Amino acid sequence: MENNAVSKNTTSFGLSLALCAVANALLVIAKETSRSVANRMQKATGHHWVTHVAIVLVLFGLFGWSFARLNGGQGPKIPVNRLTGIVFSGAVAGVLIVLAFYVLAG
Amino acid sequence: MKEVLLLSHVLFGVGCLLTTTWLFVDVLNAHEGNLARIRWLSRAAAVFLWLAFVIGGYWYVVDYKADKDVILKGPWPLAHNYFMETKEHFVITLLLLATYLPIAASNNLAVNRDARRLVLCVAALVAVLALMAEGHGAIISMGVKMGLLAKPI
Repeated sequence: MENNAVSKNTTSFGLSLALCAVANALLVIAKETSRSVANRMQKATGHHWVTHVAIVLVLFGLFGWSFARLNGGQGPKIPVNRLTGIVFSGAVAGVLIVLAFYVLAG
Repeated sequence: MKEVLLLSHVLFGVGCLLTTTWLFVDVLNAHEGNLARIRWLSRAAAVFLWLAFVIGGYWYVVDYKADKDVILKGPWPLAHNYFMETKEHFVITLLLLATYLPIAASNNLAVNRDARRLVLCVAALVAVLALMAEGHGAIISMGVKMGLLAKPI
């Protein structure tokens, strides 16, 4: 018998992944276009890339954890096919923004 | 030591790519009998990617500057200006996807068609991005080689 529900962590961290993939790309643009952002990221850990990775991973954990607590701890209620579309769109958009930014910046 | 780090980085990246491809095929044929293997493969893919990421990240932060200088002075500056710059950032999305794979694979894929589609989508993205990372890495290495070859003897 088909059961098309997924766990709350699957939904919550899927949404978080989509958000963080785009946030990752926006952070690239912010860092590359603003000297002060790049300097602050450099100073925070000693290397801008380490700070960048740390920010994205903390956001991923934080968003996933927060989403899982919605609806009285049951997590967001969205159809799995829609979740798949959101994960795919977020990840592809994040990567394409990075690839396109360096084409345009170069 | 630097060479061992670089080779391990590539090895674990390829390990992630192969494991994810195996996982993809297994999920296409998911049933009660291969669920445990699918979950094991999803965890292995995540561990391989984390190892590749941490080792590559360490090399990038500690050792890459000398290679970067060689690339920028050589005939293939694009190997750094485009390929390294994009690789160091899109692999963060790859890391998130690989980390998410075991979470998505924890559902009962034998009876849940929509969950199977989700895992197939994530696995396909991991495989494509891992392949892209391998290609970018090859171009960066070639950029260093071209830079060294271009130096006057």
